[in-house]
Amino acid sequence: MTREGLRIDVVGLTKMFGAFKAVDDLSFSVQPGVVTGFLGPNGAGKTTTLRCLLGLLAPTAGSATIGGHRYRDLPDPIGTVGAALEASSFHPGRTARAHLEVMALGAGIDPRRAGEMLAQVGLTEVADKRVGGYSLGMRQRLGLAAALLGDPPVLILDEPANGLDPAGIAWLREFLRALAREGRTVLISSHVLSEVQRTVDEVVVLARGRLVRQGRLADLDSGPRDVLVRTPEPAKLRDALAAASLTVTEDGSGRLRVGGGTTERVGHAAYVAGVELHELVAEASHLERTFLELTEGDRTP
Amino acid sequence: MSTTSAAPLVRAEFKKISSTRLWWGLLVGAVVFSMIQAAVNAAFAGMDPGAGQPATPGLDTPEAIRSVYAMSMFSGTYIFALILGITGMTGEYRYQTITSTFLVSPRRSRVVVAKMLAHLVMGAFFGVVALAGTVLAGAVVIGVRGADLGFGAERLWPTMGLAVLAVAIWTLVGIGIGTLIRNQIVAILLAVFVTFLIEPILTFALAAIDLDWLVKWLPTNASSALMAPGNTLLDYLDWWVGGLVLLGYGLLLAGLGIALSVRRDVS
Ligand SMILES: Nc1ncnc2c1ncn2[C@@H]1O[C@H](COP(=O)(O)OP(=O)(O)O)[C@@H](O)[C@H]1O
Ligand SMILES: [Mg+2]
Repeated sequence: MTREGLRIDVVGLTKMFGAFKAVDDLSFSVQPGVVTGFLGPNGAGKTTTLRCLLGLLAPTAGSATIGGHRYRDLPDPIGTVGAALEASSFHPGRTARAHLEVMALGAGIDPRRAGEMLAQVGLTEVADKRVGGYSLGMRQRLGLAAALLGDPPVLILDEPANGLDPAGIAWLREFLRALAREGRTVLISSHVLSEVQRTVDEVVVLARGRLVRQGRLADLDSGPRDVLVRTPEPAKLRDALAAASLTVTEDGSGRLRVGGGTTERVGHAAYVAGVELHELVAEASHLERTFLELTEGDRTP
Repeated sequence: MSTTSAAPLVRAEFKKISSTRLWWGLLVGAVVFSMIQAAVNAAFAGMDPGAGQPATPGLDTPEAIRSVYAMSMFSGTYIFALILGITGMTGEYRYQTITSTFLVSPRRSRVVVAKMLAHLVMGAFFGVVALAGTVLAGAVVIGVRGADLGFGAERLWPTMGLAVLAVAIWTLVGIGIGTLIRNQIVAILLAVFVTFLIEPILTFALAAIDLDWLVKWLPTNASSALMAPGNTLLDYLDWWVGGLVLLGYGLLLAGLGIALSVRRDVS
């Protein structure tokens, strides 16, 4: 099944709250068929941008459109864009099923679809319980069910991984990737890169309302990785690595940090020199560090 | 407004009301208050209150019968209907469900129109149920007093219908108030304050400065006029003018609300 997504275009978007500029001349676009992460620390302006995109906030300047249309001009809004904003917008005294039925009735969708959506997100057992008793994770799932109600080609989810346990995040990842594979446009925001690191293909990084970086996730992670190695014969290994023209520094925790090579090259050099190794690993991804560097200092105090 | 039917949004509004418990509590309140009011009116009809006051009309008069069955329902119910209307709008902001409401219908004024239609019907439903209560309570007390139950009293049934209509319009006024004032507590307190304090004071003050002709245009007096066709004792508007004036208050508030509040940011 394919569901051809629509492009999202944010052009010169600015949103002021009084004298405070929450979003500052922001431009980016989001393509169908991939999962795009909208990343930035808390307070960066992600939610504000998404609310402008959904017609809930009036932009101070610029525009935010879906398939070239403002949200409010879409002939079939929730059949075009499925959105889940922060997970608190449910009446605590209403059941999950009733919440979805209200939306379905208003949009002219068969209310029986509410049950199907709840099954899809794993809420069937609690479908007729009041939302007031739901955990954050259950609310997130309900928000997702609401977003999917109109079978929309575009999905916009604000911090969907927030409150999910690792199993829930893994489930969400597969779910969103499958939707993107069908051709849909999937935009998800997060302030924790590791939550979405394995979910997103593209990233838009935001700090203090300004665009910091847009591109493929892989490009954000393009820096060289050091190799960490532990041995009972550090002097001998240093010589061997230097001979292989690799740079070596002390790691501080009894390991050597090797720059300019891969685990394969380091292992080979040790093998040739007959040095015994007790540990050999590539350093953890630079991605999280790059993300922090990009957004650090830009963080509002 | 485009030509798209309002029916889906109205259906959604009915579902919103019926899927939480508030309406039920308000209806119980309305029925209980109406029944007490009817019983008291029936018990004291025709009695001399003393202190030189004239006696109220006896149970053998159509006025008394209309008061027991119809007016009691109105005075016991309209404030609950008003609160139903106010919460029908402000509850959306309080629980932030306004977000999904406006995602489903980004044309916000349509939502207000749908709410007015749905709540008009809910208000009429409140009126009919409470009327069953006043008829029951009133008839029991009248029966105990040994008087004729008076179901054939002059203009009783039209008055009942108009009382139901008045309650329905007050529910719509509630939507108007809630549309203008997003904060639920403020909106309810202000509505109660205005109807129970400001209006009576205003009535008194206007009479004192020889502006009596203005008094009949106040909402509560307009709704009294609606229920009292041909009333000659008090200087009321014609019943249908009274109804239109009350409806006008609701529409005016909603219109102001759409212009000043509904278009504002939702965050
Ligand atoms: N309605 C509002 N009024 C005033 N300031 C706001 C409002 N909404 C958000 N802000 C401010 O705008 C900034 C961006 O907020 P937000 O978009 O929620 O960030 P994010 O979703 O990236 O955490 C924050 O500093 C926040 O305090
Ligand atoms: Mg946010």
